[in-house]
Amino acid sequence: MRVGELINPPPGTTLLAWRNLAHERARLAVTLVGIVFAVVLMGAQLGLLVGFARTASTLVDHADADLWITPEGTSNVDIAGRLPLARMYEARSVPGVARVDPYMVQFAFWKKPDGGTESVIVVGFDLATQRGAPWALTDGTPADLQRDDGVIVDHLYWDKLGITRLGQLVEINNLRVRVVGATSGIRTFTQSPHVFTTHARAQRLTLFPGYQTTYLLVKLAPGADRDAVRRALAARLPHVEVWTREGFARQTQRYWLITTGAGSALLLAAALGLLVGIVVVGQTLYASTVDRLAEYATLVALGAPTRYLNRVIVKQAAISAALGFVPGLAVTAAMAWLSRYGNTPMLLPGWLALLLAALTLGMCLLGSLVSIRRVTRIDPTMVFA
Amino acid sequence: MSATVLTLEDVRVTYGEGAAAVHALNGISLDVRRGEVTMLMGPSGSGKTTLLQVMGCLLRPSAGRVRLFGESLEGAALAALTELRRRHVGFVFQHYNLFPTLKAWENVAIALDLRGAPRETLRPRALALLERLGLADRAEHYPAELSGGQKQRVAIARALAGQPVLLLADEPTAALDGATGQAVAASLKALAHELDCAVVVVSHDPRVLPYGDRVLELEDGRLKSDRRHGGNAHA
Repeated sequence: MRVGELINPPPGTTLLAWRNLAHERARLAVTLVGIVFAVVLMGAQLGLLVGFARTASTLVDHADADLWITPEGTSNVDIAGRLPLARMYEARSVPGVARVDPYMVQFAFWKKPDGGTESVIVVGFDLATQRGAPWALTDGTPADLQRDDGVIVDHLYWDKLGITRLGQLVEINNLRVRVVGATSGIRTFTQSPHVFTTHARAQRLTLFPGYQTTYLLVKLAPGADRDAVRRALAARLPHVEVWTREGFARQTQRYWLITTGAGSALLLAAALGLLVGIVVVGQTLYASTVDRLAEYATLVALGAPTRYLNRVIVKQAAISAALGFVPGLAVTAAMAWLSRYGNTPMLLPGWLALLLAALTLGMCLLGSLVSIRRVTRIDPTMVFA
Repeated sequence: MSATVLTLEDVRVTYGEGAAAVHALNGISLDVRRGEVTMLMGPSGSGKTTLLQVMGCLLRPSAGRVRLFGESLEGAALAALTELRRRHVGFVFQHYNLFPTLKAWENVAIALDLRGAPRETLRPRALALLERLGLADRAEHYPAELSGGQKQRVAIARALAGQPVLLLADEPTAALDGATGQAVAASLKALAHELDCAVVVVSHDPRVLPYGDRVLELEDGRLKSDRRHGGNAHA
């Protein structure tokens, strides 16, 4: 189809659909407002869901480990049990394992300079390999953590934690630390900010003995079969679970989004948006169809088969979907862009935009069903009334 | 003798049941031939429009038989009747029934599109039909911008777009003034002869009578008379 035909299609179902919409501008405006509202509502809720999911598993996604060894019964990365560090040496002896590094993730109390207290998650990584180190650094480097009391905190949470400058002294579990670096955009699902430091300091700050950690990060030797190594580690090490990175990320997302009900609430709101869209499109399209029943009856009298009439209505729905989707997506994208500056992440990856487009089209087509049913039962003799 | 297009045998149409039943058509038998303009006259409620609906395959008779080109339509599926209308029948309505959102040529082209005419031929063919009816200069106008007579001629062009063998017109001159009505009736007669199609015109306008080759008069759902101009009359 040429560009000109998109704007001014040749006589047929597309032209009838387009003109039916264009000649009822007030009704079209109502339809489009409804679709935009539905797209924004669905986009915002699904964007938040994706954002929350990515945030929930952000430590797992960025730790650069092929496999995670966790204490038995671990349900998510943020709430960890304890592992003997000896497991690290046992794991290193399993064929196919190239490296095993300890990794600490543990809640702690942060005393703000003004005296208030906040909950934080202390994240400790091996400074030598930097596996599990903070990413998106804007101030300082991981090497700055070599200072006795260094920690790195994301800029998003500086206000919340009362941080005003690099070098500031604060307390975690009543032990003094110094802010030596900052990252940008490392959010936390639990609203307890991540505080990155060395593994040894994380053990000290969270009152862990030196022979315990929370996780072991496994890097495989080149060419090693990940699943075979995972099974070998699980068989070799007692009282642990061995996860692939993707598996542990999914488990963490499931825990926070499903177990807590946060995901269900977001999905419910998105479904509400879908429902609103179906109702709005259905009502306006049906009103338009009823107003034009004589025209549809004329088409039938002229020999139009039912599918011809259905095509007109479906195309009206599809054109409405396209016209409403574009501004709806623009608003959603703007909201996602603005959310970069806030604590609540909202993401709009390409696949989600495509999903939104499909949902919008589906919503409009569902809305057109009542109209289709109406014209299917049309009596062509009404043209003689 | 002209070829018979449509034959009705003892056609009856009854609305409702029992005591409330209304017999709109009571045993109508007739045939309609190519190249002939048949005027269907009669008072309101005599069954003219119902008869037209039966002829146009829009309404199944309660009893009797309808044959198109000799083929009985009894038991034909709705889709098959729709197909027959698309292939063989053209309609002209009292209130034109043009699509208000389409220009004059687009109204004609829709009928061509229904018949599956190639896209690139839609506009030239529609314009040719409008030119034939003297409306070339109104092709780009919407129905709201046309006079009653012009609208009716667009409707006729649309009805002719599918090259029908049967053109059915329901009170085509009722909404027009006398001169315009006669001009429309004259167009129908000329086209019937020129295109060799059968034209049936429902009307109670006596001014259009001279344009008919044959006049059928209905009363209470029965055929009261069947007259041919310059020919024999049958009661």
